[in-house]
Amino acid sequence: MTRTRWLIIAAVLAVTVAVGWSARPHPVTEADRVDRIAAELRCPVCQGLSVEDSPSDTARSMKALVATRVAEGRTDDEIRAEFQRSYGDWILLSPPLLSGSGLVWLAPIAVVIAGALVALDRTRVKAVPVPEPSSDEVRELRELIAREEREEGTQ
Amino acid sequence: MRRVARYAAVALILGLALVLTLAFRRDPHDIRTGTVGRPAPAFTLPDLSGSGSISLDSYTGKVIVLNFWASWCIPCKEENPALTEVWERYRGTDVVLLGIVFQDSTDAAREYTARLGNTWPSAVDESGRVALSYGVFGPPETYFIGRDGIIAGRHIGPIDARTLITAIETLRTAPKP
Repeated sequence: MTRTRWLIIAAVLAVTVAVGWSARPHPVTEADRVDRIAAELRCPVCQGLSVEDSPSDTARSMKALVATRVAEGRTDDEIRAEFQRSYGDWILLSPPLLSGSGLVWLAPIAVVIAGALVALDRTRVKAVPVPEPSSDEVRELRELIAREEREEGTQ
Repeated sequence: MRRVARYAAVALILGLALVLTLAFRRDPHDIRTGTVGRPAPAFTLPDLSGSGSISLDSYTGKVIVLNFWASWCIPCKEENPALTEVWERYRGTDVVLLGIVFQDSTDAAREYTARLGNTWPSAVDESGRVALSYGVFGPPETYFIGRDGIIAGRHIGPIDARTLITAIETLRTAPKP
């Protein structure tokens, strides 16, 4: 085996080990959970910012409440549900699929499908109907073929 | 087959346009809180005056107007005459006007109430949790709570006296639970 091949194998192994190491399961701390839930919640007084990213007092209050609920042992779903009860699904930056806001997830899929259907319609080869030759045309063609065959025979 | 594909594409595009139209025609400031139609979240908060605490439970069976405000909030100042009018009109009746101080220092809030001559009770929501439990976006916001303890409505932004009185009278004339 050449040196180049060994180098390739070593590189592939190194990448595999690195990916495997980074993807290994690791314990999630309470702080991790607070950050993750805060990142999923919309700051009510901001323009498109999460509670995690917003420096506003409201976002700070919300994050403090999330931290309290995590410390109390509530699950992520329970904490999200508490905010949903107050603000509706709007408070979630990623709305659940099965909701009015969740229709937004279907929009790109609908666009892709509609585009594919239009493209299919445009690219399909149109079958042009070929009319049957008349008896005169058939006779002329036969004569033409016979003439050409005779000429080829004389050459 | 071609015709089916064409109709399907048109239907998808029209459906998408309809969904987007319905979604975007809504005023983003008119986002419905999840709490309207539900029991008003209970709270016990320190009284802004410094004397004891204010508990929602102590007003059970009354019509409650819950107003979230702050001294730094300009629209709150705009609506103050309407609140004063309603307070004077219903004082001592089965209607309660309660203020909740939203993201403000106690000193600034006290100075504000003293300057404007507000005498209705206000509570201090220092952690902001009561505001979060009601789904408040920012002051001023006013919640109308019926005798049954259910939040009957919410008004975002400065409110006028007519809107306040109409909402209060609707709740007063509602059959008792």
